[in-house]
Amino acid sequence: MAIAKPGRDSSALTVRGGTAVAEPIVVRNDLWSPADPAAYGGGRPTEITHLAELEQSEALRRDDARWSGLLEVIPTKADYVLDLLRANSLWPLLSGLACCAIEMMSFATSKNDIDRFGAFPFRASPRQADVLIVAGTLTTKMAGPLVRLWEEMPEPKWCVAMGDCTCSGGRYKRSYSTVEGIDRVIPVDVYVPGCPPRPEGLIFAMMKLQQLVKDRRGHWPERAIGPTVPQDV
Amino acid sequence: MDRALKTRLEARFGTVLAGEVRQRHDQTEVRIGAKDVVDVLRALHDEPDLGFVVLADLAGVDTGREMQVVYHLWSSTTSDWLRVIVEGLSRDDPRVPSATFLWQGAEWMERETYDMFGIVFEGNRDLRRIYMPPDYTSFPLRKDFYLPDDAARSPGAGVRHMERTHHPAEASEAPLRSGTGA
Amino acid sequence: MATNAPHGTHVSADDPHVLLDDDYGLYEPIPPYPPRTERELEFYTPGDGELYLNMGPQHPSTHGVLRVVLKLNGERVVDIDPVLGYLHRGVEKLCENADYHQTISQVDPLEYISSLFCEWAPVMAYEKLLDLQVPRRAEYIRVLSGELNRIASHALFMGWFALDLGGLTPILYAFIERDEIVEMLAALTGQRMLFNYFRIGGVNGDLNHDFLSRLGDWMSRAASQIEANTALLNENEILVRRARGLGVMDGPTALRYCMTGPNLRATGVPYDIRRAHPYSVYPELDFAIPTRSEGDSLARYLLRIDEIKQSLRIIDQCLEQMPDGPVTTKLPRLLRPRPGRAWAGLEGPRGLYGAYAISDGTDQPFRLKIHDPSFIHLQAVGALLPGHLLADTMAIMASLDPVMGGVDK
Repeated sequence: MAIAKPGRDSSALTVRGGTAVAEPIVVRNDLWSPADPAAYGGGRPTEITHLAELEQSEALRRDDARWSGLLEVIPTKADYVLDLLRANSLWPLLSGLACCAIEMMSFATSKNDIDRFGAFPFRASPRQADVLIVAGTLTTKMAGPLVRLWEEMPEPKWCVAMGDCTCSGGRYKRSYSTVEGIDRVIPVDVYVPGCPPRPEGLIFAMMKLQQLVKDRRGHWPERAIGPTVPQDV
Repeated sequence: MDRALKTRLEARFGTVLAGEVRQRHDQTEVRIGAKDVVDVLRALHDEPDLGFVVLADLAGVDTGREMQVVYHLWSSTTSDWLRVIVEGLSRDDPRVPSATFLWQGAEWMERETYDMFGIVFEGNRDLRRIYMPPDYTSFPLRKDFYLPDDAARSPGAGVRHMERTHHPAEASEAPLRSGTGA
Repeated sequence: MATNAPHGTHVSADDPHVLLDDDYGLYEPIPPYPPRTERELEFYTPGDGELYLNMGPQHPSTHGVLRVVLKLNGERVVDIDPVLGYLHRGVEKLCENADYHQTISQVDPLEYISSLFCEWAPVMAYEKLLDLQVPRRAEYIRVLSGELNRIASHALFMGWFALDLGGLTPILYAFIERDEIVEMLAALTGQRMLFNYFRIGGVNGDLNHDFLSRLGDWMSRAASQIEANTALLNENEILVRRARGLGVMDGPTALRYCMTGPNLRATGVPYDIRRAHPYSVYPELDFAIPTRSEGDSLARYLLRIDEIKQSLRIIDQCLEQMPDGPVTTKLPRLLRPRPGRAWAGLEGPRGLYGAYAISDGTDQPFRLKIHDPSFIHLQAVGALLPGHLLADTMAIMASLDPVMGGVDK
């Protein structure tokens, strides 16, 4: 095999159009699409922008994760119990990318214990995990693997964006290699601001997620992919 | 500040140095051209009275007019850090001999410098991108690579000091050359 | 993937009707492009019976997002190719577009476990550019908080090392230690982790009552607590038998790989920047440089435990010798140092942490280059690993204590 050496073609080293501003690196929003094209609002940004509107709408009362066929006769109490079970054993995926991972580990160990929430086993494999707690800056190089992890997780699954970098890009918003918020590539349920958020903050987020699961407001069909912030902000 | 080091370096490398040996605080600075890198580094490393065996850092610099590679070395014979600046590399095709013949650990540092600036280290067996994805085409730390958000295209360009970018043609040579030894 | 969807449509892997194929799209497989360098050619040419295993960016044991492609012959590792960059945030470019004061908070998350050292090096470099004299009380506070951060970092290393060898308990003990120290530092700096405490010419605030009471309380039981935590591991037959003789490196090779810090001292070379090139008030403090000569993972682990004890000594002396005085220097809001270059290297918990700052007379640094020891040590993994088993990959990497934030900048 021939080796393609750098620098043989010296013109490759010059940046063309030197005075022009570099185009921002845009990570496409179509990295992942759900199996059901109608899910997640069909991939459109959500029209419901406020939680109050969501409560008024009938989307909340609609039951999407229904049993099918003959099992429909099982009363909805079973759904409630199922959600209770899910909420109290949310197993996170070990997806610590950067500094927030240390706070996530601190949140998992003795002093701030998530074992009491049933969430101690941090699964190494996405196939066994419920929650993807993205802790740390998402870079453009890592965006692909992260979306792949999200794809590999079986439903029902939720996502927690921990730390400023995952909510909005944080202190690296102006950088050439970060993705400004993971909601550009995967749907997020709970955002935890902070740099890094205290473990108590992450506990609050997990409790909020548990509440979401129990209230069935975390309807996966209702969540949006893509930034809910206008493009030019 | 080790005055004796300055004399020793000037005695040993006098002809090869471009400019005088500058000293400031606890650093001694030496400037050479790209063709002398191998000889100078080997002499600094091997000769027992110089003995700069610890390579502390290998950095690339884009001054706007030229590129430079900066080595920081430490020796037990002196109380100063030694900074070796390889200057005069062109911005279009910067090439420097690699330091991996002395320090295997320089390999990744040179990869990083290549990735960020485009400086080609001849002799580095593994000169490919280390931080950016392998199909990335730009060199981010060059002065003509503007962050996408840079004010060069905003209405307030140049008004607030924060939004002034370093344009290569405007970066003047003089400021970087001044700074005399105290 | 094998579907009837038109070419270019991204089909989700969730779809049960899709048969997974080799078409991974934008994900990085083991390179589909021809090798670009000699080393790549050498690595990606499989020998007889060799296979490539990708330990991808997400893996329970990598210290962050590191992707390692292993070339295995059975269970034995023949060669590795680490792929970095999954956390590259462009800190150096951002620092070029920020004020001098703002760069301090930008460089914090590089070695996020020991962020005070990440701040200390650029601050020292800027002080050299400005010819500033830092008040002595501020220097002592810097040393004090730095050594506390070093203990926290080594305690975390102890937990992580055991975790990567399979022990799930010691990390709980390590985090007890670390949480106490980090709450102490939060009382002092306001933040548990990315402290943003050092300022050019001093520190952000003086010692306060909360911090001192916590510190006194902790110091009274620190030594015995650390003894108890480490006794769990030092006498543990599994850990000792796995770590002894693992990844042996000798002094000259370590110097050739530009290693510094505990990894170098474990090979017998007593090189510590605090003594080799003293900075701050370290010349006035009395402490030893632990050195071991075996060069294996166990030596690296035991050395860091010894360093914790030396740090406790330093903290004691700082508290005794703390002078009075100001802790900050009055500086203009927009700093414009005269043009020049400055380098500052200091001993972080992982090795030589350095910052090279170039000023061009304006209020933004022209170039800030950070030298991170973890970046260098990861190269050595490729030298240490061949011949070991797959399970030892993690053990060796953990014993070198890399932090991916610093590796990827």
